[in-house]
Formats: sequence, structure tokens, C-alpha cells
Amino acid sequence: MSAREPAIRVRDAVKVYRRLGRRPHGTLKSALLPGRARAGSGGSVTALDGVSFDAAPGESLGIIGANGSGKSTLLKLMAGIVRPTRGTVEVRGRLAALLELGAGFHPEISGRENVEIAGLLLGLSKREIGRRFAEIVRFAGIEDFLDEPVKTYSSGMAVRLGFSIAAHSDPDVLLVDEVLAVGDEAFAHRALERFAELERDGRTLVFVSHDLPLIADRCRRAIWLDRGRVAADGPAAETVARYRDHVAAGEGERRLGEGPGGERVGSGVAFISSVHILDEDGRPAGRLRAGKPASLVMAVHAAEPLTDFVFGFRVATVSGTVVVGVNTALEGLSPARFTGAGRVTLSLPSLDLAPGVYSLDAAIHARDGAPYDYRRDVLRFEVTSDIAAAGVWSPSRTWQFEGDVKWQEAAAKPRRSTDG
Amino acid sequence: MLLPLSPYSRLLASRALVRALAGRELVARYRGGALGFLWALINPLLLLLVYATVFRFVFAPRADVRPYALFLFAGVLAWAFVSGSLQDAAETFRANGPLLRKTTVPPEVFPASAVLARLVHLLLALVVLVAATAVGAARGSVTPGLAALEFPLVLALLAATVLGLALAVGALSVHFADVRDIVANLLTLAFFVTPILYPVASVPERWRSLMRLNPFATFFSAIQDTAFFFRPVALADWLWMAGTAAVALGGGGAVYELLRDSLAEQA
Repeated sequence: MSAREPAIRVRDAVKVYRRLGRRPHGTLKSALLPGRARAGSGGSVTALDGVSFDAAPGESLGIIGANGSGKSTLLKLMAGIVRPTRGTVEVRGRLAALLELGAGFHPEISGRENVEIAGLLLGLSKREIGRRFAEIVRFAGIEDFLDEPVKTYSSGMAVRLGFSIAAHSDPDVLLVDEVLAVGDEAFAHRALERFAELERDGRTLVFVSHDLPLIADRCRRAIWLDRGRVAADGPAAETVARYRDHVAAGEGERRLGEGPGGERVGSGVAFISSVHILDEDGRPAGRLRAGKPASLVMAVHAAEPLTDFVFGFRVATVSGTVVVGVNTALEGLSPARFTGAGRVTLSLPSLDLAPGVYSLDAAIHARDGAPYDYRRDVLRFEVTSDIAAAGVWSPSRTWQFEGDVKWQEAAAKPRRSTDG
Repeated sequence: MLLPLSPYSRLLASRALVRALAGRELVARYRGGALGFLWALINPLLLLLVYATVFRFVFAPRADVRPYALFLFAGVLAWAFVSGSLQDAAETFRANGPLLRKTTVPPEVFPASAVLARLVHLLLALVVLVAATAVGAARGSVTPGLAALEFPLVLALLAATVLGLALAVGALSVHFADVRDIVANLLTLAFFVTPILYPVASVPERWRSLMRLNPFATFFSAIQDTAFFFRPVALADWLWMAGTAAVALGGGGAVYELLRDSLAEQA
């Protein structure tokens, strides 16, 4: 397949589920007597409402969104398990779906026999299964239990085996639904390595997960589904950040406007829900007076307790020249603990900037620099002053002159550059 | 691809999976027991012994077919295949719901593997039938003939008919819970209007054309012909069976194909 052809192509996909009322199954009577069927039916549910996107070979795509937003339905459409009510869903190449690890396992038969059937369920031929068998078993780490019935396996073993089979089924497109939530740390790590291998090989990976750091970390791109529609589609960290902002807003936090084209990267382990600048009166402001006090404030949140964190701000000109970058590590602060919601304020007794427009970055990152949430150009603010200065630094200053130096009265009254 | 036949072309492509699923059912069923697969032989053998005993000492056997137990045996085994397959097919999508919802397999592999598993059971039981026939021949109570060679073809046509019906029954039972019970009752009724307990010859002439309306009647009269009386199947019967198989495959395939899309949602 050519690299330009998308591996997955979804166009205006709509999926409407008919609801059959309380009874899981219709009866012949309800089919033969339409009046009754109508009385007993609960209408329909639109799970997906016009979703379109492409995924290129070698792309890793995350799908996030609240429960009921249509993530699983989208995955099932891509897997071909259900068909779109309207629109088209095309997947090129061999597809493997990790929708439920070990879904095909029969408890009474051995691991060896189950590997064969699970492989066939994934569309492998017997020969292909034979060729990969040793690797599948080794990866799952169940060599000693191969001939035991699967009912004797721990749930972890079954999951590992299920994953191993799918991950070795040589898929062009691999759909993964929340499956890494189970299994131990070491296996999750191996699984992620395997995903990275597949990605390097030009396979397309689609992850559906509530594990936002995983999506932000693992995927290049992410789609946020909100009530069956694409709410955001872009770089994973950015989509995750927008989704988080949305969630945070829903939780009652005030959400401030983002910077123009603000770029956002980071794992999302901790995140910045809002950033603003306060003027000398402590009010959020977009225009500030040079030489006056100002405060930079970020509202922050850590989902889990963190012991390695650095908060930082960076001010740059709109052309990109860095004016100053400060952070808590450079200040010599050693992190001990950060969890839950918090607020970080950097107070400046005097905003010594030349008049102009500046861009603010705010960040939370690990001490080694790995970003949790780095929001570039999150805010722009304007600095005004009665006096101009070239460059970016407008320090508090006075001029003194010795010798025969004279100034015209009106223009050159020696004056302090600031009132402070 | 012609719509009613597309399930079969997909089945052909997934035949390794159908085989494996059927094998899994058989293995899982017999594993663990001390006698294991021998039960597939012991069960029909015990059934035969029960017939032989009951019709010797309890009920008077029919005078027109002797030995009656052997006559009964072939038909009952084949009927167990028909009835078991269709009842399993009515359950199979529900039983395999997780696979249906979570994997990308073509759903028709489930009824097909249910039918195949039942067919394997039948073939194993036929070992007992062949052995019993050999014993009967040695004692001079039956005289096997070359017509027995037609038996596998009858069986093949019967299996094709059952497969087509199984697809329809499976898909319908997902949508209509009543189908399972309707099928079970129809099968009970069909058992008595199909020549299993009695030879076709004992049916009054004027009822025979009516009997033809039962799709299984011709198959079971052909089974009696080839497995017990050892006389060749009439050409008309062959045509009737082939036609029944074609209609069942086409009709079952069409019904299945119409309902297929919603199987994963409903099962």
C-alpha cells in the first residue's frame, strides 16, 4: 500500500442503535404486531453522529472522551463488528482488534489449543500461528502452563496470552481498547515496547483509553469524541489538554482563553488548567504598566501525588526572543509533594519590560525536563509605558551627566524612567 | 457475489476456524472424563443396546423391519444430528456473544461449527452402526449391499440442508427469542412425521406425497434405503434431496445475510 493512502478512512460515520425496550430480545409477537413493538421500544440512540478522519500508516491515534461519547462504537465500526448506519468506514490491510483480551479463550482447553483458535479468530492461518507460536508463548511468559486448561490460569496470565497473540498477529491496523489497564507493570511496559515496534514497522495503532497520560505519551495524535462528534483532532498532548480543560470546566473551574495557537505538550500527569496575569490591583489583565507590580498565576492539578515536579514561567517576545525563564528548580526549591488542585503565583514587584507585546509560557515538568504539561504561548499581554525603550528590558533607571552637556528644557527634563 | 451464497464463500475462507471451533467444542466436551472421546462411541452403543433390549423384551418390534433395533439406529443417529445441530444453532450466537461483540470473525462460523461438531459426533456414532451391521450380517439378519456406498452422499446432502437451516435459525433466534422454542417443538413433531420409527413402505400411499412436504422425509427414507435395506436411492429422491439442499442453503443464506449486520448488536 502506498504511504499516502490512509490506513483508516472514516467519512461521516453515523451509528444509530435501535433500542428494543427493556427486553433484550424482541419476540415474534412483537415483530408480528407492530403496535406492540412500538409501545415496547425505547426509540434509538445515536452513538456516533458524523465522524470523519483519516489515519495514516505508521500513525498512532488515541481516542478519548467521556463514557458514552462513542469511543467503543467507533472502534467497533473500524473493527467491522458493527456497520455504520450512514457514512463509510474503510480499513486497509490486516486488522487485529484487542477489544477484550482472551475473549476467544475457552476455559476447558489448554493454552496451546487456545492460542491456535485465538490466532484463527484474528485471521491468521495455521501456518502463521505455527511460525509465531514460540514467540507468542515467550512474550506471554506462560511456557510452563502451555498444556494446562486456561481455566487454571490467573487472569493476568490469560490477559498476557491474549495480548501476545494479538500483538504478534502482524496486523496492519491494531485497535486497542483499554486493555493495558489490566496486567502488571512489567507486562504493560513490554506491551508498550511492542506497540512502539509495530509503529516503527509502519503499522497503524488506534488506542481507546481513559488513561490520558498514556494517550498523551504513546500517541502522536488524538481525537476527542464528545457525544458522538469529533470535538478535537490534533497532536495528542493538545487534544488531551483540551479534553482536560473541558472536564475541568465541567467541574466548575473557570477556564480562561488560550493563547493564540497555543501549543501544548506533556504527559498530562499534572496539568495546568488556567494561566493568567494579575495587575497591581490583583485583577486579571491583558495590558500592564511597565514598572508596576504584576503576578503570573497558574492553576495546576496533579491527578496522582507527585514527588518530582518543577513549575516554571517563560516570557518571550512575539518574535520568539526569550526574555526570561524562571522555574522553581532554578530557584533552588526541591519538590516534596504535589497532589490535587493547586495554584502557583510568581510575584514581580516591578514589571521591568519594554513596551510591547509579550507571550507567556507556563509549564509543569519533571526535574529532568520531561514535560507534564507545557503550555507554550498560553497568554499574550501588552506592556505599556510613558517612555519607550528598545529591546525588552526596561529597568528602573536614572541618567546623570557630567561635563558640558545641556538639554533643551521641555524635552529633556531629567526624569526617572519609572514612578517607583 | 450472489447474496444468499456469500455466507458460504466466507465460511470457505474461514474453514480452518470453523474446524478449530468445532474441535474445541468436542475436546472441551470430552476432556477430563476418564473415558474421554470413548463416550462418543459408548453413548450410541448404549442407545443401541437399550433399543435391542426394549424391542425384544418390552415392546413387540415391528414385523416388517428386522432387526428393528438396527433399523431404528441409523435413523435415530441421523436425527440426533439434525435436531442437535438446529438446537445448537439457536443457542450459538448467544453462547458466543463475547466473541461476536469483541472479535472480527464472520459470525456464520458459529452455527457452522455447531453443525460440524454434531456431524463429527454422528460420524463417530456411525462406527458403532457399521460394527452393529457387521455383527448383524455375520448372524445373517441383514445382508449389506453396495447401495451402502450411497449413504455418504445422502449424508452430505442432509448436512448441507442442515447448514442452511442452521444459519437461518441462528440469526432468527438472535432477533426473536421464541425461535428457540418453536424450533424445539417443530423438531419433536418432525421426529414423528419423518420415517425414523417406521419405514416409508408402511405409510399409506395417499399420504406419501404429503409426507414429501416434510423436508427431512426423503432424506430419512434414503438413509433407511442405504443403511438398512441396502437398496439404491431412486432418482426422484436424489433430485428431491438435492433440490431441498439447494433451497435450504439459498434460503438460509439469504435470511442470515439479511440479519447478519445486527447480530453483534443484538446477541
